[in-house]
Amino acid sequence: MIEVIELTKKFKEVTAVDNISFKVDAGEIVGLLGENGAGKTTTLRMISTMLKPTSGTVKVCGLDLLKEPDKVRKKIGILFGGEVGLYDRLTARENIKYFADLGGLSSEEANKNIELLAEMLDMKEYIDRRVGKFSRGMKQKVAIARAIVHNPDVMLFDEPTIGLDISSSAIVQDFILDCKKKGRAIIFSSHSMREVEKLCDRVVIIHKGRLVYDGRIEDLRRDYNGEDLEKVFLRLVGDKNE
Amino acid sequence: MNSLWSIVFKKELKDLFRDRKTVIMSVILPLVLFPLLFGLIGKGVKSTTEKVTKEVKIAYIGGESSFKKFLSSVPNIKIVETNDYQEQVKKGSLYLAVVVEEDFDTKLAQDEMSDIKIIYDSESTNSQTALDVVEDIISTYKDEVVKRRLEARGIDVSILKPIDVKNEPINKEKSSEGALILTMLLPLYLIIYAITGPMAAAVDLGAGEKERGTLEPLLTTQASRMQLLFGKLFAITVMGIIGTTSSLTGLYIAFKYSMDFMGDVGLNISIGSLLLIGITAIILNMIFAAVELAVSIYARSFKEAQTYLSPVTIIGMIVAYGTYMMDVKSASTIMFNIPLANISLIIKEFVIGVYNPVHIAITFVWAFVYIIAAILFARYMFSKEEVVFRT
Ligand SMILES: Nc1ncnc2c1ncn2[C@@H]1O[C@H](COP(=O)(O)OP(=O)(O)O)[C@@H](O)[C@H]1O
Ligand SMILES: [Mg+2]
Repeated sequence: MIEVIELTKKFKEVTAVDNISFKVDAGEIVGLLGENGAGKTTTLRMISTMLKPTSGTVKVCGLDLLKEPDKVRKKIGILFGGEVGLYDRLTARENIKYFADLGGLSSEEANKNIELLAEMLDMKEYIDRRVGKFSRGMKQKVAIARAIVHNPDVMLFDEPTIGLDISSSAIVQDFILDCKKKGRAIIFSSHSMREVEKLCDRVVIIHKGRLVYDGRIEDLRRDYNGEDLEKVFLRLVGDKNE
Repeated sequence: MNSLWSIVFKKELKDLFRDRKTVIMSVILPLVLFPLLFGLIGKGVKSTTEKVTKEVKIAYIGGESSFKKFLSSVPNIKIVETNDYQEQVKKGSLYLAVVVEEDFDTKLAQDEMSDIKIIYDSESTNSQTALDVVEDIISTYKDEVVKRRLEARGIDVSILKPIDVKNEPINKEKSSEGALILTMLLPLYLIIYAITGPMAAAVDLGAGEKERGTLEPLLTTQASRMQLLFGKLFAITVMGIIGTTSSLTGLYIAFKYSMDFMGDVGLNISIGSLLLIGITAIILNMIFAAVELAVSIYARSFKEAQTYLSPVTIIGMIVAYGTYMMDVKSASTIMFNIPLANISLIIKEFVIGVYNPVHIAITFVWAFVYIIAAILFARYMFSKEEVVFRT
């Protein structure tokens, strides 16, 4: 469903992403694992058409990102960590509706989806209140609803649990698992092997823009004889440091 | 289905109007600022002037004279007997002192010249007001003396007025005086309002979007950069136009309200002129909205946007003031190619009811060019990865 092909991104002197290729199937969660500055965000931004690749391309549901960026965007939902990026003066519903409208949904469709999401994420109580005064967890739910309101086939999560407390993290993780159940193709970036281990079927480890490992979590476990995977990760990226 | 730019436009307006700060700054403040200011100043000026002229307290120094009699016969003059008049004028307990020569009447009778000295405080408005009153009285008295002297010689007073000047303005309407003031002020105000009106909205919808982290998700929607840009541009322009409208309304109320001390400037502008001025004001707002949005998109944060926008404001104001005194009547067609100056000039022409198709065409074509250039600049900013993802 997602096919990353020899993807490269150079910012002036820095090569942030260096000739990376991997695939993600429907109903699969792939962890994009790397330390800070490894190139995770840059990779996800290219997949979501916000950055233009220096070379290489990505195919999303068979659509080439370079040729049909608009159609690709329609297939994609993104949830980025850090600031949730909501409009404080709009209500939760208005925030979600705005993105539904911009996603090209009809009004009935948008309203139907919003009702479903409000139910699913347990937001009914506050959906018509302005988000400015929401708690972090409440905002996170609104951001999730916004990311998915247009029913994308592909979900990109860029360190979505960063800075969240345990209960908010759990909301996000449940949501990711729910996406998997619905048969979406999911990329989940993280700098923590623990989190990847818990959620993902496969892991793609990148370091300094280069791909250093691509395989199933189980295979990784087997290859390293049940060693602590966090240590394995450190060794994999550490090797390249020398 | 709604086109995407109009979805952006509606959302942005809704968002802006929910921001109390923006509404106060760009709608309410301009509306009440001038009426309040004018009202207060007007009231203040009026009440102090009234206080002084109701009872003009002055000292009279010198012997009995016909002038003293004349002076005391003026109802609002109150002569206070005192010797330390210097001190009292300085203190303000007396507004001024009139010093008359001892042999004033004798000199008058002999057709000689007499001196009157007025001691006043040049730093006190009260004293200045009293000075005006007393000078008027002296002038009246002087005329009477002259008349008496001439009559004694059997000469008619009209000999002193060999020429009677009558000013006759070429403009038939009575409004020319008001129009002159308006040709100076209106372009200035319209330009300044077009700069300041859209500012808060531009900062919010460009840099603000970045600072809140909403730009990135927004860019992953189906809306193209141009659609986002136009939605934002129109919302900012609307805020600018609302700002201009409420500023002008405030100004109008202020003038109406304070007519009694400003004097009636009797304006009459045709509907056609008003319409053209309105269109020009919208175009002006659009130009600055586009420029400000472009700058705001370039900036990393609210603060940075405000910093970058202050030179824009200053340059605009300098040009606006530069054209303030410019005379439309002597402006050549070439001048209609100078940015902003042309808009200032065309507004001046509209005010006095001149509709020169060549001038209008040149100015509007240029305005169109400015808007397109500013939009392209904004789009360029919006499409540059370095700018969008600057942190
Ligand atoms: N807009 C940009 N301009 C220049 N360099 C950038 C830009 N974005 C990211 N980089 C650089 O690219 C590298 C990868 O960054 P990023 O993709 O954000 O890493 P990660 O998300 O894995 O922490 C870093 O060295 C970073 O400094
Ligand atoms: Mg990152």
